[in-house]
Amino acid sequence: MAAIDFLLHESSVGYAIFKVVHQADTIGNRLREVQQASQDLAKFGKMIKLVSFAPFQGAAQALENANDISEGILSDYLRSLLEMNLPKPSKKATILGVADKNLAGSIKTTFPSIDCETGDTSEVVQDLLRGIRLHAPKLLKQLQEGDVERAQLGLGHAYSRAKVKFSVQKNDNHII
Amino acid sequence: GRGGARGGAKVVVETFSRHPGVFVARGGKEDMLLTKNLTPGESVYGEKRISIENTAPTNGDGSAVATKTEYRVWNPFRSKLAAGILGGLENIYIKPGVKVLYLGAASGTSVSHVADIVGPTGTVFAVEFSHRSGRDLINMATHRTNVIPIIEDARHPLRYRMLVSMVDVIFADVAQPDQARIVGLNAHMYLKEKGGVLISIKANCIDSTAAPEEVFAREVHKMREEKIKPKEQLTLEPFERDHCIVSAQYIRVPEVKESVSKKATAKDP
Repeated sequence: MAAIDFLLHESSVGYAIFKVVHQADTIGNRLREVQQASQDLAKFGKMIKLVSFAPFQGAAQALENANDISEGILSDYLRSLLEMNLPKPSKKATILGVADKNLAGSIKTTFPSIDCETGDTSEVVQDLLRGIRLHAPKLLKQLQEGDVERAQLGLGHAYSRAKVKFSVQKNDNHII
Repeated sequence: GRGGARGGAKVVVETFSRHPGVFVARGGKEDMLLTKNLTPGESVYGEKRISIENTAPTNGDGSAVATKTEYRVWNPFRSKLAAGILGGLENIYIKPGVKVLYLGAASGTSVSHVADIVGPTGTVFAVEFSHRSGRDLINMATHRTNVIPIIEDARHPLRYRMLVSMVDVIFADVAQPDQARIVGLNAHMYLKEKGGVLISIKANCIDSTAAPEEVFAREVHKMREEKIKPKEQLTLEPFERDHCIVSAQYIRVPEVKESVSKKATAKDP
């Protein structure tokens, strides 16, 4: 298993790409090092570096992307972010860590020069992504305290209401 | 004869000693389990409310200020977590300020009490797949801003990864044969190291042909394989039949044994 170059984090506030700047040389040590560092922001912050954060421009865009992400579809917004921030195709493939294998498939189809590792194929990726999720509000420096939670609340309602076709105006009639 | 629950002078509310955020009303006909109502003046599913006058000398000049605190009665016959608390669970991990991932949120009646416990600084991510109960859940969540409703299949935690943070506790009441696996999948993605796990197990839902004790033992074994270390197991009698609740801890990164690491460093030079 090759070293992971970049990581993709999807959240209620937007997409973020991180570069893995430090990684143990031997595969055997890699997982343990990541697992121990990911619990400590000071250590974890030295392991990865934010390359780019693309915030959603509004609730509608966030919902659209949340729906695409849940289906493993590569949205235009995410595609342009990857295009701008990952290295141009060269001899050596770039390895991107993503959470979902369906999304990994969509990325590979669009960008043949990117190889994806997922949480299923690599425990190191899973632990790196766990670390990002744990520290995300601090790692994404433009964010204010509580931004992620507020966005989750709005997006959670929007996403769930669309699923059940819920309308605030209508009341359910219960038929016993 | 419902006067007892109406509160007033007779009833005294105390904190449930082991579980911060959970309360007990004493002095009525029977003791009652309570949570502090996050939205005073409103019931969620027709449950009773108790208002207690508390005089606290909090004014700047030291004069007494009469304030009211409203609690909601938590019925152990309707909530497995309440039944577990009354049954004597040592640790429910759910307390003020924590984040909870609640799998199998149904209409949100129990979720509303969990939301009361974690309070305004905590969050409950409430996952429910059924659209019918999902509507009630969404409705409840519109009044409680610390509840994030997620209508999605808990078997596919990746689908809701944009909506969930890392959490301190996972509570699961999904009543599915593969529930240990479902909880494991969610824990690997969203549960903090050493986070708490509470699973309610209905023997019938897992295997209706085997004895309940055998089913529980098998489930506990499956949890261990998912790095979830059971700490206590409790039957939910007399509130539920052939049910148990297991309280456990997620240990993803095993601690390195002291003696082993010492030996390793001693060898180095």
